[in-house]
Parts: sequence; C-alpha cells; structure tokens
Amino acid sequence: MLEHDVLVIGAGLAGMRAAIAAKAGGADTAIISKVHPVRSHSNAAQGGINAALIDRGDNWEDHAYDTVKGSDFLGDQDAIEVMCQSAGTSLIDMEHMGVTFNRDDAGRLGTRAFGGQRRARTFFVGDFTGQAMLHVMFEQLIKSGVRSYEEWFVTGLIQEDGQVCGVTALEIRTGQVYAIRAKTVIFCTGGLGRVFEPSTNALIVTGDGIALAYNAGARLMDMEMVQYHPTTLAGSGVLISEAARGEGAYLLDKNGDRFMEKYAPNMMELASRDVVSRAEQTEINAGNDVDGCVLLDCRHLGAELIQEKLSQIREIGIDLIGIDMVKQPIPIRPGMHYIMGGIKTDVDGLTNLPGVYAAGECACVSVHGGNRLGANSLLDTIVFGERSGNHAAQAAREIEYVDFDVDGVVDRERERIQDMLDRPNNDDRVASVRLGMGQSMNANLAVYRNQAGMQETLGDLDELRERYSKVPVDNKGRVFNTDLVFALELGFMLDCAQTIAVSALDRQDSRGAQSRTDFPNRDDENWMKHVVVTKGEGGPDISYLPVTVTQWTPEERKY
Amino acid sequence: MEVTLRIRRYDPESNRPESYWEEFPVSLEGNATVLDALIKVREEVDGTLSLRCSCRSSICGSCAVRINGQAGLACKMQAADAVDSDGVIVVEPPGVMPVVKDLVVDFKPFWDKIREVEPYLQPQGEEPEGEYLASNESMLHLSGVTSCIMCGACVSDCTVLEVDPTFLGPAALAKAYRFTADPRDGDEEGVSKERLEKLSEVTGMWDCTRCSECVQVCPKGVAPMDRIMALRDQAMEAGLTDNNGSRHATAFTESVAHSGWLDELQLTVKSVGAGNVPALLGFAPVGLRALARGKMPPIIHKSIENVEGIRKLAEKLEDPEPE
Amino acid sequence: MRYAFFPGCVSRGGCPELYPAATMICQRLGIGIQEMPGASCTGAGVLQEKNQPLGDALNARTFAMAEQLGLPILTICSTCQGVMSQANRRLKQSAEYLAEINSHLAEEGLEYRGTTDIKHLLWVLVEDYGLDELTKAITRPLHGVRMAPFYGCYIIRPSDALDFEGHPERQTSLERLIETLGATVVDFSGKTRCCGFPILTTNEKNSMAMVAKHTGDVKDLGADAMVTPCPLCHLNLDGFQPKAAAQAGRKIEMPILHLPQAIGLAMGIRPERLGLKRHIVSVKPLAAKLAGVG
Repeated sequence: MLEHDVLVIGAGLAGMRAAIAAKAGGADTAIISKVHPVRSHSNAAQGGINAALIDRGDNWEDHAYDTVKGSDFLGDQDAIEVMCQSAGTSLIDMEHMGVTFNRDDAGRLGTRAFGGQRRARTFFVGDFTGQAMLHVMFEQLIKSGVRSYEEWFVTGLIQEDGQVCGVTALEIRTGQVYAIRAKTVIFCTGGLGRVFEPSTNALIVTGDGIALAYNAGARLMDMEMVQYHPTTLAGSGVLISEAARGEGAYLLDKNGDRFMEKYAPNMMELASRDVVSRAEQTEINAGNDVDGCVLLDCRHLGAELIQEKLSQIREIGIDLIGIDMVKQPIPIRPGMHYIMGGIKTDVDGLTNLPGVYAAGECACVSVHGGNRLGANSLLDTIVFGERSGNHAAQAAREIEYVDFDVDGVVDRERERIQDMLDRPNNDDRVASVRLGMGQSMNANLAVYRNQAGMQETLGDLDELRERYSKVPVDNKGRVFNTDLVFALELGFMLDCAQTIAVSALDRQDSRGAQSRTDFPNRDDENWMKHVVVTKGEGGPDISYLPVTVTQWTPEERKY
Repeated sequence: MEVTLRIRRYDPESNRPESYWEEFPVSLEGNATVLDALIKVREEVDGTLSLRCSCRSSICGSCAVRINGQAGLACKMQAADAVDSDGVIVVEPPGVMPVVKDLVVDFKPFWDKIREVEPYLQPQGEEPEGEYLASNESMLHLSGVTSCIMCGACVSDCTVLEVDPTFLGPAALAKAYRFTADPRDGDEEGVSKERLEKLSEVTGMWDCTRCSECVQVCPKGVAPMDRIMALRDQAMEAGLTDNNGSRHATAFTESVAHSGWLDELQLTVKSVGAGNVPALLGFAPVGLRALARGKMPPIIHKSIENVEGIRKLAEKLEDPEPE
Repeated sequence: MRYAFFPGCVSRGGCPELYPAATMICQRLGIGIQEMPGASCTGAGVLQEKNQPLGDALNARTFAMAEQLGLPILTICSTCQGVMSQANRRLKQSAEYLAEINSHLAEEGLEYRGTTDIKHLLWVLVEDYGLDELTKAITRPLHGVRMAPFYGCYIIRPSDALDFEGHPERQTSLERLIETLGATVVDFSGKTRCCGFPILTTNEKNSMAMVAKHTGDVKDLGADAMVTPCPLCHLNLDGFQPKAAAQAGRKIEMPILHLPQAIGLAMGIRPERLGLKRHIVSVKPLAAKLAGVG
C-alpha cells in the first residue's frame, strides 16, 4: 500500500516548497504531479518576486498597503500582512538555495519596478525568474529525499466520514490506477487558465485541484476574480512580461499615443493590471487598436538592456510572430492570466475540510483579493507553500491513517475510466468541447462583463456538460494515453468554469478584475464581501464571507 | 499553409512492435509552430498521438523532439521554417532515450544523471544572515547556464551518448558547471574541488568529444559544450591534472608553444603518460601499421619559421603577470 | 583566384599524403596558393580548453599574416576551419577584445584588422571556383562508385560561427561535390557526427565505437569509400579502423579518402601519386573498380 503522512498534489513552486517543509517537519512526505516537477507552470512567471527588505529602506507595511490597494480592498488584510512580513526571509532563503538573482553594483540583490507599487521591490533573474526559482526548488527537492510520483494524474479524493484519507491516481506511463493513502493532502495544483481561450497559461493548467476540492466539499472563494494580463501576445496569447513595462516600455495606441495618460496619469503603464487591461480594452473597443491589439514599445530601452533583462520575451516575439522588440513594437492585448480566487484557506493553508490544505494559485487565502499585483504570485507560492507544509506535517502527527476499501475504490475508479474509454464514437471531440467552453468564457467573462453575457455562458456550459458526458476518447490504450488525460482534465475545467460564471453573475458590483457594465461602480456597502461557492445538491451554492480589515480602510483607487 | 507532418510513431500495445511512419496533412496559419501542427493532429484528427507539451513558449522543456533529424523544441520552430520543398516536416522522438509511445521518451536516464552531479548548492562556509554578496557579472554568467530548461535536446543528439550510455552527458555536466562556477558553492574562494574531482573521472568532463552537437541544438543558448570546456579549465586550475585529458591539453599547448605546431608523436606519449606502458603498447600496433605505410609523423619535429614570436606569446598568455 | 594556404599540422604529420594531394589538385585547377611559413597550429580546440586567449592570439597572428598578403585563407582541414572561424568570430564581435589580442601581436609587428576570410578547399570549390567549372576538369568521372560523405564536426557546427545562414549551400557542400565527381552519394545520418578522434587518448573505447559505427553503417549501405575534408577524422576512421572493427567484432575495411584524393582520382591522377598507398585500410578494391570503369 502506498501511504504517506503528507501527500502534496502538484509539483510547482508551492508544491515543492510545501513538500520540503513537511519533510523537514519530520513527516513521511510524497509529492505527486501529472508532469515532471520542472515542467510545472511556475516556469512561466517571468518578471520577479516582491519583497520589502528593511536594509533597503523598504518596509513590509508599504508592500502590504500596495497589495491591499491592488486587491481593490477585497484581500484579507491579516493574510496580506502575513505574506508581506514573511517576504524578506522567504526571498533570502531562495537566494541561499542558489537562485541566481540579478545584483546591484554593491553585489546585493537588485530590484526592478513593477506595477501598482510605489517603489522598486521586485527581485528578479532576467525575465525568467519563475523558471530560475522552480529549478532551484527542484534541486532542493532532490536534496530533501521526498518521494516523487512523476507523471501521475490524481483523479479523485478519497474521503471517509468527512475525513480525507487519500487519493486515486492514474500512472500515466502504464495506465494503472492506484490508491494512495494519506493523512493530510495539500493541493498545489495551480490555476485553471485553460478554461479560457486564449490564455497565457500552459496547456497543463486545467484547474484539477480546484475542481477536486470543490467536488469533495471545499469552499471556493473569489472565483469571479480572473486576471486579464495587459500584455499577452497577439495570436497564441502567450505572456509578455510586465518586466518590459517595469524597465520602462510604453503602451501605444494606433496613433502612437501613450493612452495610459488618460487612465493613470501618475503610474502610467505601471498602474495595477486590472486598470491597465481595462484601459487597453476601452481603447480597443473605441477603435484605437491595431488589428485588435495595442502596441508595447521597448525600442527606447536599447538592445543591451533588452538582451540582459528581457531576453526571453524578445525570443518569444521573434519565434512566435517574427517581430524583434529591439526594432519594432509588438502587438499585445489583455489576455486571461491568473485566478485570484480558489480553494478557501486560512493562513496555514487549511481548508474547511479536515486534513485538506491548499497553497499557491489554486488556493485563496485571500492575499490577492480582486486583483493580484505582478510579482506577488511567486511570493504567495513560497510563503504559503512553506506554511501549509509545516502545518500539515504537524497535523499529521495527531492523525491516524483512515481505513478504506482500497480494492473497491480502485475498481470503481478504473471502471469509471473504462466507461469513458468505451463510449461510442459520436463525431464529437474533447478539443471541440474545450474550445466551446474557452471561447464562451473569453467572450463573456473577460475584462468587461454583463448579466446577459454571463447567463449566456452558463447556458453554454450546461450544453457543454451534456456533450462532455458523451464525448468519445480516441485512444483506448493504457500506455501514456494523453487523450484520456485531456478528457479527465476537461471535466475539471467545466466544473471550474461554472463556479467562475455563477460567482461573477452573483457579484453585482465592479471591483478589481470584475468590471460589470451593468453595475459599473464599486459598491462597498453591499459587496465589500467575498463570494463563496460550494457544491450543493443541484449545483453550485453561493454564500458570503466578510473581508478582514486590519489597518487600511477602503478608499477609492487612483494610480 | 498546407503541410504534411511525417511522424515516427510507436505503440507498445499494438501488434506491430516496431516504430512506423505516418503522414498527416494539416492546414496551418502563417505563424503556426510545429507544436501547433502536432496539437492540431492530436485534437482534430488522431487523439492516439502521444506527445508531451505544455507552455508553448520555450520555457517548460516538455516538447523536445527531432524535427528533420535535429533535436529542438516543437514550440520554438515555425512550421514555415521547417517544411522541405515538398511541404513535409519530419518529426521523431528525441534520440538516446528509450521511446515510451510515439514522441514520448523515458527521461529516467536523463534525471538519473542530473541527480548524479549532486545538483544543489553546497557552500562550505557559514551562511550569511542576508544574501551572499556576489557580482552581477557572476550571476549573469550563471544565469546563462541556469536558463537550461532540461528539455533533453542536447542529450538526444550527443555523439558520445549514442555509443556510451554511461557518459554524464551535456545537460548534467552543464548543470554541474552551474555549481562549480557559483561563487557561493565550494570553499571560501568558491572552488568546488570535490565536485571537480568526481567530474574528472571516466564518464565525466574528459569524455566529451567537442563535437558541438549540443551547442547547435540547445534552444536556450546554454552551449553545454562550452561549459564542459570551462570545467576542464577549472579542473586543471584546481590541480587535477593526473588524467589523460589534462595531460593531452597540457602537452598540446606545450607543443604548439614550443614549435608552433603539433608534435603528434610526443602528444600521444605525453597524453597517456610516458610511464603508462599498457596504453602505449595499445597504440603500438596502430603505430607500426602507420610506419609500414610511411604514414607516421616525422620523428624529428622541426619548428615553424619565426617560432620566437609564438614562444613569446605563449609565455605572456600562459603565465600572465599578476595585474 | 589566390589564397593564403593553411595546410594545418596533420597534413604534414599524421596524414603526410594529404598535403601533396591538395597542392597537386590546386595547381591543376589553377587555384593559386601561397604558403604562410610562419603560421602556427590553430590549437585544434584542445589548446583552447586550457587557454582560449592564447588560441585566439595564435589565430589572430595567422589572420594578420594573410591580411598582409591581402588574401583569404584556404585550409584543407575541417578542424582548422572551425577553430579559425570561431576565433575570427570572437575577434570580430568585440573591438575591445581584438585590441587586447592585437596588443600581444604588436611585438612581432603584426596587427589584425578583422578582414580575413577563412575557407576550406571544399567551400572554395563550391562557392568560389564553382562546381560547373570543376566539372570541366573531371576527366575520369567516378561513375558507379558509391561514396559516403563525412564532414567532420568543425565544418558543420556551430553553424552560426560558420555563417551557414549567409551560405546555406555549405550544409550539403560535400554531397554536391561527390555528385560533381560523378560518384553516387551514400547518404547516412552519421555524416555530420563525430569521428571520435578527440577522445582517442581519454576514452579509446568510445572513440573506437564511433569509428566502427560510421564506417560500419556505410559498409551496410553498400558504400565503396568514404570521403572526408578533415584529416583528423581520417586519422581515426582510417588509421584506427582495424582496431575499431576488432572491438566491434566485425569486418569493415572501408577505404577513407581525403577530399583532394577523391577529386584527384576524378581528374585522372593516378592513385599512387595521390598517396593512397599510405592509407591503413586498403584502397585496392576501389582502385580496381575505378580501373574497371575506365
């Protein structure tokens, strides 16, 4: 029997950090991931990681205030305080582990400016900070001796009388289904970007953990808060880092004017992401676009700076659309990038389900509220990854393994999968259902939203769920059946899509990433609260939780 | 754009045990990558096609395959740049590693080698309270190596791994260099002598042929071979000279510095070590055969004209005066 | 058409048959070559492991000599080509570095201004001389001969140092030359791989495995001979072929020709004048086949 005190699902930065912490806390720890750890989507974080270092004259309260303001006052301030206070230590830990952060002239860690913050406190490795950190975390995972199940896909959470007792998982290489017993489970499965089409997110980002937890009874919170990143590449929609604007790039409309003057006269291109994306969408809607895009102009930064600090995004522009940002502005537009919402946890990562934790993008602590600041996500992963690992290891000491009918569970899961493989061909395709979902979400749950559009998407989703229940799987084999994995992921995505749409429809104000044309203003009197969604008998149930305010009273946001 | 993907497929569960070729015609948009084309096949035509892919932007390292015989990331190569004159793009799984299914290979040997170089920072001194102080230049240099995404393209096309699976290989050796060159790793001078000792053993840095395949195929400009050459330099600097590779480099340099060109006879003797009788005897039959055909290099090695200039250059650059 | 001739060490050392063969065909084709007696070894990538600046200084010195003659360099060695191309790129990329290297050359009264071009005989024939022109000199076309190309790493990679972008024809130059000689190209994936020579003293087993693989592969494909523009490859593929075959436990006996020898044969030069007798693997079956054709 495979069994572990702590089982971490997902091996990105949050997951590996959690596993290393749990192992250090004395727990028998394993990590399970549908891809090899270094393939995780933490790779894609480009610009950097925020931390207020006291010896640089910065202080955590300033960082916290910027984060609270960026969240449009929807973030829980107690949680934000925890994150910003821990930031310095967590950052230095990463440096000690070996991350090759850029330095200043004195050989100390160097910073760059980032959006929505009043001072430069973003530490970075070129424009591939996430990749640099992820690979170092993997090095530490190797050093830690944590058991790693690589290319294992978790298909279900096993519970007995409300207590989690393990997971079912598909070993992708062999097609075998296993049950893994666990005292505690930590979800670190990342976001759900592929629910939208297009998205900056990698193809593996399918909301698995969010859906698994939701279906097991966990509360999801702030699910309507979907970040559209201001600079995603025309066509494929891949990310062009905020670091470009942090280093001084301009946003231009079709006339070559810096339109951000109208929307954020002080911070200009470095206003918070929701503000910049809205400004771009407004300009595009007004016809000031170039083929549906606005332009990101880096030319004045010079070839040398671009090569040293923005080489990866330069490479992406050349490879994918044949434009060298040293010589030409690149066409960009707002694109789905991040979910602020997720599995509701406390500051130790604990959810409302005993023994179940969550950290990283799949979790909602909530430190990002209505809008996440750039370079706060890497910070989120390592701070709350570590805390949840510590807490889960400690909790596991007090918990006994729960007995369950292992063979029965495995047989049922195997049958469920076999039923999917046995579906008759009906000319429908998994990819076409996913595309229908993604396009509907992108049409109606994007930068601007309204009731009619969101209701239309909810209708679409009902139809798509119906189609999903019958969609055939081409590949009937066992060995590395990626076709089957996509089909299983699509089920998770459809669940996630529905929770986003119902939450967004429920919130009748505009705040952070949610801009409703039918409710254009922030309404603190009625909607200064978190929208919570849980799985009910007949579908999603909505409830609310208060926003925790410690020291910063809500005010109008200006950048 | 109309292209034909010619894909090498393999299904261990089917009744044909060998790999086979299958062609798929696809219509693509102008900027489509080879990965876009593969995904199109998988999503619209044949879901049984297995491949790994994720980020679509050259950072996750999942989609390394061989395109027209050369390893690279499918997401980095535009289809328009990959088609031949008949509109065909040939896609195969990466080399060296065993094929699991279609374009998916078993990366276990790859990760085993990464683990073998103890791939984590090992500072010997006390950890500072804040960050380690280091020059930006040193970090930028390392970032040129840590930008490796472990896609395996270099391993796929390595000429040594093709004949010897025990070679550590370009990815693991570049990873090792990332630590030996890190001022934070090793002793207070930043010298990682234990690492260099291990890496000097057989299967390590001296087994690279300098064929540049890894430099050519690396999608991230890591230039693994250049890092291996830098490891050799570090090892010799650290005094690890009791091996054929080091003796060869030293003897070569001495020969050129002395006469301006290569003294091949002396080079062989000095490389395997003048006292290494078994190895020298091993070369003897080859030498005798060559002698019989009048093929041996001249026994008396004459210097080139103006050799004085070269000797002076070597003196100056081999032992530069401390600045 | 005139070049500063850089024969390299091996064509006068381990492969003494190459130098006369190369100069002979150049003379017959009317390709003018002028020796640079003071030119040194390129370092072959080995010296560079220990001391890259010294390697670059040695090569800059050679480039400066050619520059003084006002001639591009012609080499007959893939390794020399690659090492010189890489050095030339470093020197041309940074004015600062070039100045530093020049400061070392000043004592000999030399200065490299960064204008020298370096071309292997193979490229000279394809790009400057022209294969059509070469065809005119072919009096004994190698019809019926199945010939496998073997480039040598340094003339293929890294391709950006060798300006393959500006000269895409370099990618297939050897096959086109073989066709021009009238022979049939035996294409095989090993043609751009490593011969194993650089690890001969450090890992002989692997080195021999490479020799056996490449020569054995083309044997299996029915080749009569293999041709290489690299004398270092020749040393291993020819000189060590018996040892490699013994290690692999098979009979191979694949004749390996230097590029100028293959050209010379097609120009009707007698095998003994091209030094074919000096090879370790007998060229007799090939010579017999040619005699039969003639």
